[in-house]
Amino acid sequence: MTTVTETPIAVPVVAHRPWWRGKIVQSGAIVAGMWIAYRGWGGDHPWPNGLVWNQLTFKLDDFQAWLIEKRLTGGGGLVFSIFDGFRIMCDHLVAWFFDALTWLTWLGTAVAGTLLAWRFGGLRAGGWALGAFAAFAVTGLWLESTETLALMLTAVGLSLVIGVPLGIAAGRSRRFGRWLTPFLDAAQIVPAFAYLMPVVLFFSIGYAAAVVATMIYAIPPCIRITALGIRRVPVNTVEAAASMGATRRQMLGKVQLPLSRRMLLLGLNQTILFALSMVVIAGLIGGGGLGAVVNSGLFSNPALAILAGAVIVVMAMALDRITESVAERTDPARRHLDAPAKRRLRLQSLGVAGVITATVVVAKLLGVSGDFPDYSGVRQRAVTAQEWLLGQIQTVLDYVQDPTSFVFQITEPVGNFILTELLLPLQGFLVEAPWFTTLGGLTLLALVVSGLRPAVTTLLMLGLIGFLGVWALAMDTLSQVLVATLIAVLIGIGLGVWAAESRTVSRALRPVNDVLQTLPQLVYIIPFIYLMPVSIVPGIVAGVLYAFPVVSRLVERGIKDVAPDAVEAAGAFGATRRQVLVKVKVPLAGDAIMLGVNQGIIMVLAVVVIGGLVGSGGLGYEVAQGLVRGQFGQGVIASVAILALGITLDRVTQGSRSKRKESME
Amino acid sequence: MSAPAATSTTAASRERDGEPLIRATGVWKIFGPKAATIIGTPDAELPRTELRAKTGCVAAVRDVSFEVWPGEVFVVMGLSGSGKSTLVRTLIRLIEPTAGTISIAGDEVTGASPAALRDLRRHKVSMVFQHFGLLAHRRVLDNVAFGLEIQGVGKAERHARAREILGLVGLEDVESSFPDQLSGGMQQRVGVARAFAGDPVVMLYDEPFSALDPLIRRDMQDEVIRLQAETGKTMVFITHDLPEALRLGDRIAIMRDGAIVQIGTPEDLVGSPADEYVENFTRDVPRSHVLTLRWIMREPEPGEPVDGPRLDVGTTVRNAVPVIAESSRPVCATSGDEVVGIVDRDAVLRAIAGEGG
Ligand SMILES: Nc1ncnc2c1ncn2[C@@H]1O[C@H](COP(=O)(O)OP(=O)(O)OP(=O)(O)O)[C@@H](O)[C@H]1O
Ligand SMILES: [Mg+2]
Repeated sequence: MTTVTETPIAVPVVAHRPWWRGKIVQSGAIVAGMWIAYRGWGGDHPWPNGLVWNQLTFKLDDFQAWLIEKRLTGGGGLVFSIFDGFRIMCDHLVAWFFDALTWLTWLGTAVAGTLLAWRFGGLRAGGWALGAFAAFAVTGLWLESTETLALMLTAVGLSLVIGVPLGIAAGRSRRFGRWLTPFLDAAQIVPAFAYLMPVVLFFSIGYAAAVVATMIYAIPPCIRITALGIRRVPVNTVEAAASMGATRRQMLGKVQLPLSRRMLLLGLNQTILFALSMVVIAGLIGGGGLGAVVNSGLFSNPALAILAGAVIVVMAMALDRITESVAERTDPARRHLDAPAKRRLRLQSLGVAGVITATVVVAKLLGVSGDFPDYSGVRQRAVTAQEWLLGQIQTVLDYVQDPTSFVFQITEPVGNFILTELLLPLQGFLVEAPWFTTLGGLTLLALVVSGLRPAVTTLLMLGLIGFLGVWALAMDTLSQVLVATLIAVLIGIGLGVWAAESRTVSRALRPVNDVLQTLPQLVYIIPFIYLMPVSIVPGIVAGVLYAFPVVSRLVERGIKDVAPDAVEAAGAFGATRRQVLVKVKVPLAGDAIMLGVNQGIIMVLAVVVIGGLVGSGGLGYEVAQGLVRGQFGQGVIASVAILALGITLDRVTQGSRSKRKESME
Repeated sequence: MSAPAATSTTAASRERDGEPLIRATGVWKIFGPKAATIIGTPDAELPRTELRAKTGCVAAVRDVSFEVWPGEVFVVMGLSGSGKSTLVRTLIRLIEPTAGTISIAGDEVTGASPAALRDLRRHKVSMVFQHFGLLAHRRVLDNVAFGLEIQGVGKAERHARAREILGLVGLEDVESSFPDQLSGGMQQRVGVARAFAGDPVVMLYDEPFSALDPLIRRDMQDEVIRLQAETGKTMVFITHDLPEALRLGDRIAIMRDGAIVQIGTPEDLVGSPADEYVENFTRDVPRSHVLTLRWIMREPEPGEPVDGPRLDVGTTVRNAVPVIAESSRPVCATSGDEVVGIVDRDAVLRAIAGEGG
């Protein structure tokens, strides 16, 4: 007999189900399992020696020795001579720029820089240039600044020589652009610290290595923005020119380049900023200049390191503002010059050239030196404020390091909290838990959070790390990255949400974010070495500072982009502003938040490994040792492990995003 | 409504002298992977959405053939997405046709070498775009002279020519302005001037006035009509605006889902639409403005006196109304001296009443 059952009313499946829901429980279970294993067998199962390729370090060291021998004896074939030729060319270029700038004398250089910035960027740009030169002079770091400028000119120039044509090609040919994109993406996740060792291997320590490391970092954004600029030229215009029978060359020269000029100049701006953010790291491998001052001062003369860091910041900000205003001012599509205006500009150019020449001639005749003098010739009176500045900085340093000071009362507990409540437990957990539960657990987590491919990547990369023999170090670094990312994301979300809700906050945050993003990575760390003297914490705090602006910006944009309809609908139901925020906006902005996590985690990794330089241990320390002590094999292995870690973190955080995208289609 | 069975009596087949200027035969454009392999297979016959679902390809233009005669204004009309822009771009291979042949002014376009194609674009054909496509970084004068500059014409000469053209379209005063300083209507005038500057044989317009206000649009249409009358250029004009098509077009092609449904004079389309689609299109057209006496006349009955007022068969119904209203006798429609039909009051009223659809 059949019973008539009521057909159940089909419950409409919620089409838009965020991928991350329901994952929390599973993830929690996995972590709990790992935790139990840690409590039960913590420390009993380090990565087994049998699974390590012990010989690698020696093999790499041998390889280096072989290379050095070849370099000395001159053998080694074509590839080798190309590397060597490039090395010599870089060395010469930097030296030539340096000589040229000193030949102009400090006065000539300052006048030329200021007037050129004024001519092409306007009054404000001129002001920034003047301010920067003043900072070089006042700090008594003129020569170091000049050397850094010479390094920048070379690195940026070569980056443009390579990046702009590639960018143009990628912008004009879809196929080439698509082919190039994965390389650019990959370059972006490699922490700069990880490729120092290989660069040193092929170019040995010196200007060339510094230039190459800088170029590797600066070329990808150059290509990207150039391509973007070309692609942004309105299709209509390109089509119209094609319909009139323009050749490819005419199209480029008469249409695409002029119309993308502003973007190309912004590309220059980004290239410079990326290059500048490598200055300090480049100082580690022979870049000299301000970077070298920072590095050598880190332990021996902290006040000087901070001063040099400040000069780098001034230089970065000045170059940023100058190139930005040049880009804005010379956009031919917006700036319409009539004939008198053109004539006026031509006169200005002539005037600028005249004044510069005159200044240089007079300065040469008067015997003005290339370096800004520390003491005046007359009564041995100091003309730079270096000593005074150093004294001031030292006072502040003494204050923040004085256990009875007010600041210390704050920084000390904060630092200790991060260390004892977050870092050490996580570190212990990751490092000491049985290697197989950690490896398996992390792979499972990747599977649950992001899917199969990221999980496979995780397994392979972590396996590689273990195989290289740096499991414990990598887990140490990972714990630092996770803690810093957590803090950065929390701060970023908080500020992002706040800024999205309040115009005032948004406006107040923007300059802070701008400044934080302009700073070279290592510069972040410097103050915190002294502010939070616990060795691991400065790297963490610096990572947080480096990453949270990006997170907060993405979150802010994500929330602002949430469809007004949804917000309005919720409002119509009588939801309070708070409910709208928590129930509608934040969930809908989930994508932006995940993107923030993805970008933030990579940025954090880049900075955290640099922390190895100041004693935060982990993989970064190995690289630092490799660089400083010449322990090459060890450094390369750590570099590879950093890269493996970067790939894992990127794929896991990004995989979830692309999965989400798929499910939306 | 009574309509002639054949359109052979209409202007569409008016005596043509010589060869057509543009001849497109079996043109296809399919966007997507392996587009070329689809043509000739049964897949090609699938409706667009099904083809897309099955192969991921979009058939933007499907087997289109037409001819345009010298001095003619040929309008292509259709809804958004029907493939008009794609079609007109294939004519000069701004979009590469997937199949079919095109020739313009005796030159084979499909299969032309890059140099020959450039030559065609430089000297024979020019195009006016919906979104103007002006060079934002150049003055109006240099925009108009751009085509000549590309051809390598010297500065003095091309500026002189550009000034001449600017005078023709009434833009003398703004020659040193930049495009973004002009209104939309003015910008499109520059676009038209630029297209004229190379003195092409054929002008292609892709919805040139869609982005403009209705009043300005009318002005621009008048301008095109005037220029056409003055220069006698052949035009292919894309629009989705029926009044515009009726105003400008000597012949109109109606496109739907990439294929041409009907080609004919305005009267053909209004009087004898090929299918429901075309009929829906033309439903709201005031018939009396388009239809001529030819469409509403009847054969004279044997022995019927032909003593009413005489009007040419090409007179539109609207213009015939006053005459018919005055006269007590039916109007005689004439072709030359011969009376070819009778139009009585009834027929006129029916034609006007039929307007509502
Ligand atoms: N580059 C392309 N790739 C893929 N599909 C395209 C491409 N260009 C056009 N299409 C498709 O071809 C079809 C015809 O497009 P087309 O632009 O020719 O239409 P249209 O009649 O000009 O419409 P509108 O009035 O909106 O301008 C559309 O379905 C469009 O989506
Ligand atoms: Mg179109």
